[in-house]
Amino acid sequence: MLTVSSLTPTQLRARLRGPGLDFQTGPFVNRLHSNIPHLADGLAVLYGEYPLREPGGFANFHLDLSQPGGLRRWWRPQVRFEQDGQHPFKPLPVAQAQPFCEWMMNWCVSNRAHGYLIIHAAVIEKNGRAIILPAPPGSGKSTLCAALVCRGWRLLSDELALVRHDEGMLVPLPRPVSLKNRSIDVIRAFAPDAVFGAIVDGTMKGTVGLMRAPADSIRRAGEVATPHAIVFPQWEADAPAMLEPISRGQMFMRVADNSFNYTLIGARGFETLAALAERSAGYTFRYSKLEQAMAVFDTLVGDSP
Amino acid sequence: MTDGQLLRRREWDDEVVLFNDLSGATHLLSSTACWVLDRLATTADDVPGLTAALEAELAAEALDDRGGAGSADIGIDQDLLADLLANLHSLDLIEPC
Repeated sequence: MLTVSSLTPTQLRARLRGPGLDFQTGPFVNRLHSNIPHLADGLAVLYGEYPLREPGGFANFHLDLSQPGGLRRWWRPQVRFEQDGQHPFKPLPVAQAQPFCEWMMNWCVSNRAHGYLIIHAAVIEKNGRAIILPAPPGSGKSTLCAALVCRGWRLLSDELALVRHDEGMLVPLPRPVSLKNRSIDVIRAFAPDAVFGAIVDGTMKGTVGLMRAPADSIRRAGEVATPHAIVFPQWEADAPAMLEPISRGQMFMRVADNSFNYTLIGARGFETLAALAERSAGYTFRYSKLEQAMAVFDTLVGDSP
Repeated sequence: MTDGQLLRRREWDDEVVLFNDLSGATHLLSSTACWVLDRLATTADDVPGLTAALEAELAAEALDDRGGAGSADIGIDQDLLADLLANLHSLDLIEPC
């Protein structure tokens, strides 16, 4: 199977400027157009291991992240997102093209892929047992997720948990882990071998660094995972790592609050979330030190079945 | 009960999550609140009738917990019941008749 890394830098830029770069992330094929050279360089670093699709085939999402022409090109250059002829978001400074691209890929999934229950959550798996980490920004979700995948856990997603409606299995969508501000240095110190794209300052989320997904997780993107637990993490200064059970009812309501489309898909979402809640234990988790957190999560999934 | 309302539910321990097909809303209720909702779905009780039925139900549960031995005398706090009915009304699950 060809991957994005099979293209030379020149070929990659030609695809982006021409027919589009068709590449697969989890169950989705993305067609990306762009005339921004540093976005092409970033894609080569972060998406090199992803399956490459031939131009012109079926694509779920059509994205165009380009720098408009005219005087704007020289005076405060910007990147503009276009999808199906629409510009649903304001342009951003061109230096933010890579994180903008990630946000727009997330946006496409959370707005279109209603064949799944979509939860704002990281998902990681070990020993055949997947743990869902739903959490709002600032909870330490992505930091914890990055640390776990750097210690051998499989990455299913850093941002979007996809739950299949028929039997509640979790569908992988492994993409770069988006770290913000201090978390970037925390993970660099924790896992010096972790590969990052360019660090981008001044975004609406502060400084953003995208950590490349492990190659093994990308290779196994077709393997669904069985939910085992739903853990609501919260980083708290000096807190000892502590896992506390919560009731299934409370877990259900908190997951619904963190879902992108639970309300939209109605009764089907209720049934899917109920099935997920029935097969998952629920916990809150406070932590301050990643090493302690790793030990807690290893205990939670136990040994290989 | 509100006309046209279909409720889906899951019960775990003493909690019930309830999906209202009509409004699309999901609620987390106690099992007692859900029992009241079920009772009102089948019987148009006034408050004294509902109180008597709930007392009988709770007494039967208490006896069951004790293996059928002795007797149970359950008194319902009327203020708590009024609050519970007001909450169910505020969630558009019931309406005064």
